Amino acid sequence: MTVVHFTTAGTFMLSITGLALHRTHLVSALLCIEGMMLALFSALAVSYQTPIHTNTSLQPIIMLALAACGAGAGLSLLVASTRTHASDHLHNLSLLKC
Amino acid sequence: MMYLIFLFSVCFVLGVLGVAANPAPFFGAVALVFGALGCCGVLVGLGGSYIGIVLLLIYLGGMLVVVAYSVALAAEPYPEAWVNHSVLMHVLGYVLLVLLVGWCFMELFVESGVDAAGFFSLRGDFSGVVLLFSMGGWLLLLSGWGLLLALFVVLELTRGRARGGLRVP
Amino acid sequence: MSPLIWSLLITSLATSTIITMSSHHWLLAWVGLELNTLSILPVIIKSHHPRATEAATKYFLIQAAAAALILLASTLNAWQTGHWSIMHTSAHTTTIITLAILLKLGIAPMHGWYPEVLQGSTMNTALIISTWQKLAPLTLLYLINNNPPTNILLLMGVISALAGGWIGLNQTQTRKIMAFSSIAHMGWLIITLNLSLHLTTTTMMIYMITTTAMFMSLNTTTTKTMTDMGMAWTQSPPLTTMMMITLMSLGGLPPLTGFTPKWLILNNLCHMNLLFPTIILAMASLPSLFFYIRLAYFTTLTTPPNTTNTHHKWRFKPPLIAGLTPATSLAALLLPLMPMMIS
Repeated sequence: MTVVHFTTAGTFMLSITGLALHRTHLVSALLCIEGMMLALFSALAVSYQTPIHTNTSLQPIIMLALAACGAGAGLSLLVASTRTHASDHLHNLSLLKC
Repeated sequence: MMYLIFLFSVCFVLGVLGVAANPAPFFGAVALVFGALGCCGVLVGLGGSYIGIVLLLIYLGGMLVVVAYSVALAAEPYPEAWVNHSVLMHVLGYVLLVLLVGWCFMELFVESGVDAAGFFSLRGDFSGVVLLFSMGGWLLLLSGWGLLLALFVVLELTRGRARGGLRVP
Repeated sequence: MSPLIWSLLITSLATSTIITMSSHHWLLAWVGLELNTLSILPVIIKSHHPRATEAATKYFLIQAAAAALILLASTLNAWQTGHWSIMHTSAHTTTIITLAILLKLGIAPMHGWYPEVLQGSTMNTALIISTWQKLAPLTLLYLINNNPPTNILLLMGVISALAGGWIGLNQTQTRKIMAFSSIAHMGWLIITLNLSLHLTTTTMMIYMITTTAMFMSLNTTTTKTMTDMGMAWTQSPPLTTMMMITLMSLGGLPPLTGFTPKWLILNNLCHMNLLFPTIILAMASLPSLFFYIRLAYFTTLTTPPNTTNTHHKWRFKPPLIAGLTPATSLAALLLPLMPMMIS
């Protein structure tokens, strides 16, 4: 495991831990998902680093396009939940508790 | 070059750590920009200059929107930065965790370091977009379909009658 | 919602599942999962009620995180083994991917989001989430089955069957009851991944048929809570009877369809000398059966000539769903076809 591999896997793990453990704002949760996507992008971008396998070099671009779709959907969900719940605190999302 | 890449990696990890430690949202956005800078530096150091600049541009644009949202929505009178008590505990915990796991893999670092030749090495990253447009075929169509779908998804998620909640019109 | 956008969303919902199911490359599978999440979100949030918004937000957070975890594990696999094929995933990464897929499916230790999302959406959307949305993750589980993490699958399946039955006892809303019933069924389903893949397919199909029949009956009678079920007979007495039979079939009573997977799974587990999980599974189906029978009691056994003990509720003219008749009859009568199903 080289420095770069450790960095990408480690940042992903940090982001998903931050998403899982403690969130007060929905924006922070979306930022953690963005951090996961950033780590995935670098993971995909360093994994093709040989001139032989150029076919895999289009993977980060596709991933970035769909991550942008996901980020846009997340931000619009932020707008929608702010409209209905009056703030973006995650503890407001408790109407459906069992 | 190896030390530069290591430095950028540290910057990347520290940026994401700043996001994960749950500060106020706009500090989180700033930290994520910091992390994206580090990630871009790592990629450029490994030779992927094109892909690094694409990442940087897209993330700077995206993060600008997120900062605007979070300043507009989550404006608190006393926002928590990383030196506040609760956040500082998490920062220290995560730093300890990263150092511990890094120390476990330390001998592997020495064994197989990154062979980085910097800007002059032959990398395939320019060919990514070219491949996508020339031989991508269904993949290009699928990505375009996803972006079009995201447009309508955002439209449908944000519009609609406003129901519930307390708002000033 | 405009019909054009609606048709775009439904098309994309169908296509993305098929892309995931037919893909051979992990990135393509991830693209399918991501498009699937994107296209179900406006369907969940369609009413723009606060509950619907909350359900969509929770669904998005869970599905995006799980899909990203799947892609990370497959990238790790590509670093180790050098290829991206779904079929050839190494053992460690298979474990991570399995955990992420179980999060997407709502298996018991990760099931917290699932009843809430179902409660926040409409009955038809709940039907889509609990049947069609399960297909893509289950196909991925099916495809990485060359070295499955057997202990994790067995443990999570048993826990899921237990928790689904046990927590479902406490619920009064029909959608939450159906969510816990779905969690229990998913527990049975992922245990079959250890046994044989034919059995998995059979269990999946029977789960889909019975759940579809139940959701369609609930939708036709517009039944949201258990007290609403007491007035279901005013709508259609034969449907009430069929609803009781469908509930028994979900619980897995012998002459009905739902008995098939339970019988075969317990039989296979006994053949593998896994007696302890067998006993726990058989016991765990009892609480599920209890709340199904409680629903059936409210539906059927309080009809006239007894005195009515619930208020007559206002309802609009119900939609006549075309698939209701075949779904309920399939949910009742498929047991004689069992030898054809397993061969």
